Amino acid sequence: MRPGIAVNAARCMACYACFMACKDEHCGWGSALTAPQPRMGQYWMNIVEWERGDSERRIKTATVPTPCSHCENPACMAAGKDGAVYKREDGVVIIDPEKAKGQKQIVDACPIGAIYWNEELQLAQKCTMCAELMDDPDYPGKEPRCVEACPNQALVYGDLDDPESEVSKLIAANKVTPLAGLEGMKTQVVHLNVPSAFLAGTVYMPEEEEEVCIGAKVVITCEECGCTYETVTNWAGDWEFEDLPKGKSWTVEISYPGYKSVKYTGERTDKDHYVAMTYLEKE
Amino acid sequence: MAKERITHSVSVAGPMAVHTVDGVIRRVRPIVLTEEDTKGWVIKARGKEYTPQRKTTMSLLGYTEKDKTYSYDRIKYPMIREDFVETPDGQNRNTQNRGKSGYRRASWDEALSLVVREIKRLHETYGKETIFACTSSHHTWGLAGYKISLFKRFFSMMGYTRVIDNPDSWEGFHWGAPHTYGYYWRLGGPEPFDMLEEAMQNVETMIMWSTDPDTTRGGYSAQESALWRWWMKEMGIQFIYVDPFNNFSSVKHADKWIGPRMGTDSAILEAIAYVWITEGTYDKEYIAKHGHRFDEWAQHILGLGVDGTAKTPKWAEEISGVKAADIKAIARRWASTVTTGGSGMRGGFGGACRTIGGCDYARLIVSLLAMQGMGKTGYNMWTGACGAPMNYNFWFGGYSDPLSSIANFPICDKPAINDVQQVLYRPNLPDAILDGHYEWYGEGFCGGGLDFEFTRHIYPAPGCSKCHCFWRYGGSFIGTMLDTNKWVAMYQSPELEFVINQDIFFTPETRHADVILPACSQLERVDIGEVGNSGNGGYCSHSQTGNSWQVIVFQDKAIEPLWDSRSDFWIFSQVAARLGWGEAFTEGRSEEDWAKRFWQFSDLPKHMDWESFKKKGYFIVPVSFKEENRDPKTGLFENWDRYPGFKWFASEEACTTPNHKIFQEEGLMGTLTGKWEFVSESMLYWAPDDEIRTPIAHYKDAWEGHKSLNADKYPYGMISPHPRFDYHTHYQQHATWLWEIPQNRKIINGNPYLICRINPKVAEEKGIKEGDVVKLFNDRAEALCVAHITRRVNPETIHVYTSSGIYNPVEPGKYGAVEKGGSINVLTPGRLMGDYIPAMVPNSCNIDVELAEADPNPGQGWEYMLEGVDRQQNATQRPMNTSFEADIIFGEKEAK
Repeated sequence: MRPGIAVNAARCMACYACFMACKDEHCGWGSALTAPQPRMGQYWMNIVEWERGDSERRIKTATVPTPCSHCENPACMAAGKDGAVYKREDGVVIIDPEKAKGQKQIVDACPIGAIYWNEELQLAQKCTMCAELMDDPDYPGKEPRCVEACPNQALVYGDLDDPESEVSKLIAANKVTPLAGLEGMKTQVVHLNVPSAFLAGTVYMPEEEEEVCIGAKVVITCEECGCTYETVTNWAGDWEFEDLPKGKSWTVEISYPGYKSVKYTGERTDKDHYVAMTYLEKE
Repeated sequence: MAKERITHSVSVAGPMAVHTVDGVIRRVRPIVLTEEDTKGWVIKARGKEYTPQRKTTMSLLGYTEKDKTYSYDRIKYPMIREDFVETPDGQNRNTQNRGKSGYRRASWDEALSLVVREIKRLHETYGKETIFACTSSHHTWGLAGYKISLFKRFFSMMGYTRVIDNPDSWEGFHWGAPHTYGYYWRLGGPEPFDMLEEAMQNVETMIMWSTDPDTTRGGYSAQESALWRWWMKEMGIQFIYVDPFNNFSSVKHADKWIGPRMGTDSAILEAIAYVWITEGTYDKEYIAKHGHRFDEWAQHILGLGVDGTAKTPKWAEEISGVKAADIKAIARRWASTVTTGGSGMRGGFGGACRTIGGCDYARLIVSLLAMQGMGKTGYNMWTGACGAPMNYNFWFGGYSDPLSSIANFPICDKPAINDVQQVLYRPNLPDAILDGHYEWYGEGFCGGGLDFEFTRHIYPAPGCSKCHCFWRYGGSFIGTMLDTNKWVAMYQSPELEFVINQDIFFTPETRHADVILPACSQLERVDIGEVGNSGNGGYCSHSQTGNSWQVIVFQDKAIEPLWDSRSDFWIFSQVAARLGWGEAFTEGRSEEDWAKRFWQFSDLPKHMDWESFKKKGYFIVPVSFKEENRDPKTGLFENWDRYPGFKWFASEEACTTPNHKIFQEEGLMGTLTGKWEFVSESMLYWAPDDEIRTPIAHYKDAWEGHKSLNADKYPYGMISPHPRFDYHTHYQQHATWLWEIPQNRKIINGNPYLICRINPKVAEEKGIKEGDVVKLFNDRAEALCVAHITRRVNPETIHVYTSSGIYNPVEPGKYGAVEKGGSINVLTPGRLMGDYIPAMVPNSCNIDVELAEADPNPGQGWEYMLEGVDRQQNATQRPMNTSFEADIIFGEKEAK
């Protein structure tokens, strides 16, 4: 049994139930695996959120629950002295609440900022994947608190070694999107469908007509590698390419029979980008 | 693991399993179903099968229950205002210091003796009607303890001036929509029954107007419905969201979001009708048959009515700021695909109906749904919350059911009847007390008939005394009621000779009382209740369909009452006994005896005896009792008795939906003509001169809005919808964990400032950066918030969530002081919607914004109080029934 959590970012709506359940479990109460979390100031189940889009015309949010990833080769374990951080046989990474005292470098070592410093106890602390509960035969729950609290199946818990487990199947069926800083690292918290960048826009008929253009062809071409994607505008005149490679320059070409085609160059996917409200002109 | 005891409870966040260790709450979890519990329903739609997860859910608020129960701001002891003087004539009691003064600890005997002496004095001097009392909604959950039950029983037996509530969450649907489509008995809301399956199987487009279901969760429901909307999204249904704020559901689900200028939704709706009428894309046959005076309305839309203005998309663009081309695109998508939609969490709620034009808006949105043939398969009024399969053949009372109150037969042996006729009206309670005279039209909730909207009230009622004593019970209206500073002024008036506050927490209103009675939370006493059930015969019936599971909970006592708090039942019993009618009040029953009565008079005894129910703690009602309704392969229920809302009308069958009226069985709606009234006969009959709610609903420039006199000075429209991180005012001040959510609050100098949302363009003009403290202001007041710069609002709109829960004026007890707790209702207009419409209009509010400094003073000592709590929790691991060194009393800091 190698317990793991799949985080399906496509299903997270940042309702904060996981965040609160984690605080409910750990604030003020410790176990053999961890000292109590302070009442406020630590977010073992942190929700990283950013607003996507540079125009009111197309805005989304990315909301990514980000607990400790329980890495295969944890940077925090390397940073900890005297076995302050250890990896259990099942792969769960634990900070020893006694041995880790005074070792602030453990906090700094984490590439995703999932470890917190307890000023009062002079102790590094983080998510235990609720291993203390999962180990306990008397505990009636079957899932870590955050997973149990999730209403959307955005967090799924199970055995990563079992290809038939729900979590393994979910990972197999979705796009694995490792967090920045953990690329190439095998982790027991696996992030799925974290969005990269979109390009979007709207096509209108000539302005005086006050009409959207439905069915216009939109082709984008990467100015660096030449790859292209194609779509047509929908009932609202909107077009969108989601999850494009980041940090590239694109040419956007819009065409509609009987009208001049429109071309935009140098549209970047450094961040999510609404290209334009395009008004067509008659040929 | 230490031995843990598990009990159950339920709140507005959902059902919960409460683990305790040695009498201390350890954790709060959802209920995970076992093999013993029933199998769920399965909806088969578009080649897939959908069934709920085998666990209940809670919103984030549920997981703060422990934090809240042991909160720093629990009222620990009975308390008496330190400068209160018990003068024999009720005068010279330093009422001007209410809200400023500190308190001294009292014994229960001292506090109750004072209360009883005052009741007797007031009764002798003025009569029973001089005491008025009111309660918040849902500061606790449970049938025995709820306001229409326990509170009603006590006050009805004593006799009092009732304070009637306004439908503060859905004003326009309550006061407007019934004049177009009836449903006054559902207080203006539609029938959501079985709409989930209907939509999943048939709908192509969802019109989500002024609704944020992931945030409002169908009212009292848990968080289950969020998953339904992901199902619908993932099967390709197009979601169109209309809201000045690209809200938390919209930003996740919307295929198209448009953000009209505050209060201009009606113009867009009229323009959509214009497109349909000119292009002939509405259900003409349906309208010909079921519409009343449609042609006159159509003339108005086309510009052939009295105002001579065609309601073209271009016309609407100028008013709303939404592009004409986008309006047309939405109009055509709506008309050309199978479309269900509506407004707000139950289809008939939402921020837009809480604007000055809210009645027009509500009537127009139902008119447009009618034009597409509402009630035909897939065409309905529903916004993705409520409407799950449910077992309508099983009866267990909800809070608004007349049969589910300990004030009423058969739960009690002898019903409690209030013999005082005088009433007050909540939105203008301060005006009535301060001016000594107040008149208005309408019952607060007009479920009894359209005519209830036009009853006339005068305060003081003929032959009655004015009110001189306020008994405030549970929650805070400072924070939810508009021009909320008025409440401070009321409390400081010598007209109020005596103020009692009975509550669990030290709320903004608590600190304006003369005597404070500490109630325990629902985890510290016994009750019984069903998740989300607002009544099966009462208003908005069957709202438990907002959950995937129908759960009835024995709300067992998890821990003993903390400190010197006592259950509300104990407090009322004590007062009743001291007034000489204690036996009559209790009828010899304990709290558990009362809870058992609700079990006894329900269908539950057929399935579970009392002792088993108590032991297990909950019962999940199977969606059907018939074995043949199961899918033989999975055991899930694929059939149940379905009553799809409003389908009876379009299919012209006898109506069998739950909670229907006799005339529906004859195919009639609840309007005067029984049809969709495009020109309202009820308005023409009762109030033809009403200038706000006209016989034809249409967009009008509002007395506060982008065209009103003060718009030059205060150019931004502030919308303040129902909060995502609170429920009314019941969590924010108490559960400090909520302050750590970046979209909710930011702590600066020890003060948790509320987040307001400002467009980058405005921020740049004003020199405001992300995380800056800003001042929102108008002529009414000033409020400090922290700016979140976001394109989720357009430049003309500023968004702040309402009912902050924390009211923290820089100068406590000063009317109009700068507010830094986030009680944004200091800015909203206290004026009612119209002369005939006693509705509040929080989303019609003009403000300006500028950069401000954070208040360097932690104010009423947040850090100090938190420190005290931490010390106490760390030192003892459990709060004791003894005083600890730092009694946390508001005002103490000032006294030092």
